Amino acid sequence: MTQVAAIALNTFRETVRDRVLTVIALFALLMIVAGLWLGSISLEQGGRMMKDFGLVAVTAFGVIIAAFIAATLVRKEVEKRTVFVLFSKPVSRGGFVVGKFLGLAATLGVVVGGMGLFLFLMTLAVGGGASGMVLVATALIYLQVLTVVAVVVFFSTITSAILSSMLGLGVFVAGQLSHNVLSLSRIGAGAVTEAASWVVFVLIPNFSAVDVKAAAVGEQTVDWGAVALWGVYLVAYMTVALIGAAFVMRRKEF
Amino acid sequence: MTPITTSTPPLASLRAVTKTVVTGLRRRRVTILKGVDLTVGRGDVVGLVGPNGAGKTTTVKVLLGLMRPTTGEVDLAVEGLGDVGYLPENPYFYDYLSGREFLAFCGRLFGMGGRAAEERATELLADVGLTDAAGVHLRKYSKGMLQRIGIAQALVNDPQLVLLDEPMTGLDPIGRLEVKGIIQRLHDQGRTVLFNSHILADVEELCTGIAVMKAGRIVWAGTVERALAESPDGLEPFFMRVVGGDGASAPEATP
Repeated sequence: MTQVAAIALNTFRETVRDRVLTVIALFALLMIVAGLWLGSISLEQGGRMMKDFGLVAVTAFGVIIAAFIAATLVRKEVEKRTVFVLFSKPVSRGGFVVGKFLGLAATLGVVVGGMGLFLFLMTLAVGGGASGMVLVATALIYLQVLTVVAVVVFFSTITSAILSSMLGLGVFVAGQLSHNVLSLSRIGAGAVTEAASWVVFVLIPNFSAVDVKAAAVGEQTVDWGAVALWGVYLVAYMTVALIGAAFVMRRKEF
Repeated sequence: MTPITTSTPPLASLRAVTKTVVTGLRRRRVTILKGVDLTVGRGDVVGLVGPNGAGKTTTVKVLLGLMRPTTGEVDLAVEGLGDVGYLPENPYFYDYLSGREFLAFCGRLFGMGGRAAEERATELLADVGLTDAAGVHLRKYSKGMLQRIGIAQALVNDPQLVLLDEPMTGLDPIGRLEVKGIIQRLHDQGRTVLFNSHILADVEELCTGIAVMKAGRIVWAGTVERALAESPDGLEPFFMRVVGGDGASAPEATP
C-alpha cells in the first residue's frame, strides 16, 4: 500500500505542477463566469442558465483534462524510461496502474470539485436559486470523469497517447447516447439486433443514467435508486478497465 | 557457468540465459543473449564489459526482471528487489521533483515511512555531494548531477546487490572520483556490485572480477588479477584480444 500511495502522491504532484492543467482549469472557471453573462441576457432564466452552462463546462473540461492527462500517465513513464526506476524496486505492475489512477483521481477531485464549488458559490452570490443539487451533479460528473480516466489508462497501455485520448473521448460521447441504442433496438428490429444492442449497451458505460444536470436546473425529477445502481455499474466498469491495464502492464518488458 | 571468483558464495547467477525479441514491422526475431552463463559472488565488484550491442544492458535487465529470459535461469540470492539497487543507463527522472523529493519518493517505494524516507534522502544527498541542490527541480540538474542522483536512488534501500549501468557516463573528473569513492565504499561494506562500463581503467581500479561480453555471450570471466596475469600490459590489450581485435559485434538475426 505504501508503494501505491507513493505513486499516487507523485502523480498528484506531477499533474498539479503541470502548467497546462492550470491554464485549462482557469479557462474552465472563465467559462463558468461567462455563464453569469449568459444568464444576464436571458429573460428571467438567469440562475437556471448559469447552472446549466456551468455544469456543462464542468463536464466538458473535466473530461478533456481526464482524457488528455490520463493518456500520458503511463506512456510517459515508459517513453521517458522512468519505469526502470519504478520496476527495479518492489513495485507491482498492478500497484503502478492503481497508483497512477488514484493520483490523477485526486487531481481531478481538486479541479472538478473546485469548479463545482465555484459554480455553487456563484449561484449563491447572484441569488439564482442555489441548491445542493449543483454539488450532487458535480459529484456525479466526477464519477463519469473517473470512468473516462480508467478507460483511457487501459487504452494507453496498448496504444499511443493521442489514440488513447481519442478513444476515451469517443467512449464518453457514446456513453451519453448508449441508452438510445437500446431504445432503437426495441423498434421491432429482431432478436439478434436486440441482443447485439444489449451487448453494446453493457460494453459502453451509460453516462446519461448518472447525469442529473437537468434535475439540478429544475427540469426533471431523479430516480435516485437507478442513479445509485448505475453508479455502482460505473465503479465496476472502471475496476475492470484498471484490471485490464494491470494485466497488459504485467506482460510488458522494458 | 562462468564464476568470477571461487572464494565467495554466489549472490547472482544466470544459467544458459537467452533472450530473443521481436522487432520492427516485419516482426524480425533478434537474439540478444545467446546463452549467458555468469555467477557473481557475494561481496564481489564485477565489471561487465563488452562492445556496444554485446548484450550488457539486457543482461542486467534480465537480472532485474525488467525483461524475461526466453530460456535459461536467473537466481538472485537476495530477498527480492527490496535488496537490489539499480542505476539505468542515461537515467531520466521526474523533472518536476526536487532531488530531495525524488529520493524520498524512492524511499517510500521501498516501504519507508515519510520521515525515514526524508532522513535517508538527506543522507544520500550528502553522500553524492548534492546537498546544495536538494531543493532544485531535477529538470535544472546537469547530466553529471542526474547521474549522481541516479546512484543515490540506487542506494536508497541500502541494497546487498547494486547494478550500475554505465555509472561514469557524463561525469566530470570530480564526479567520477566521487562515484568511484561510492563504489569503493560499497565494496568495503561487503556489498556486491555489478557495473557495465566501457572504461577499462575504472574496471581495473575498482573491480575484483571482470566479465567480457561479445555478441550475446560471456566470452571471458574471472578475476581482474587473472586477466592482468594473462595481459601484464593492462586490461585494454587483454580486452582487444578477448573480443577479437576490432571489438565490433551486433546481435545476430535468426530466421
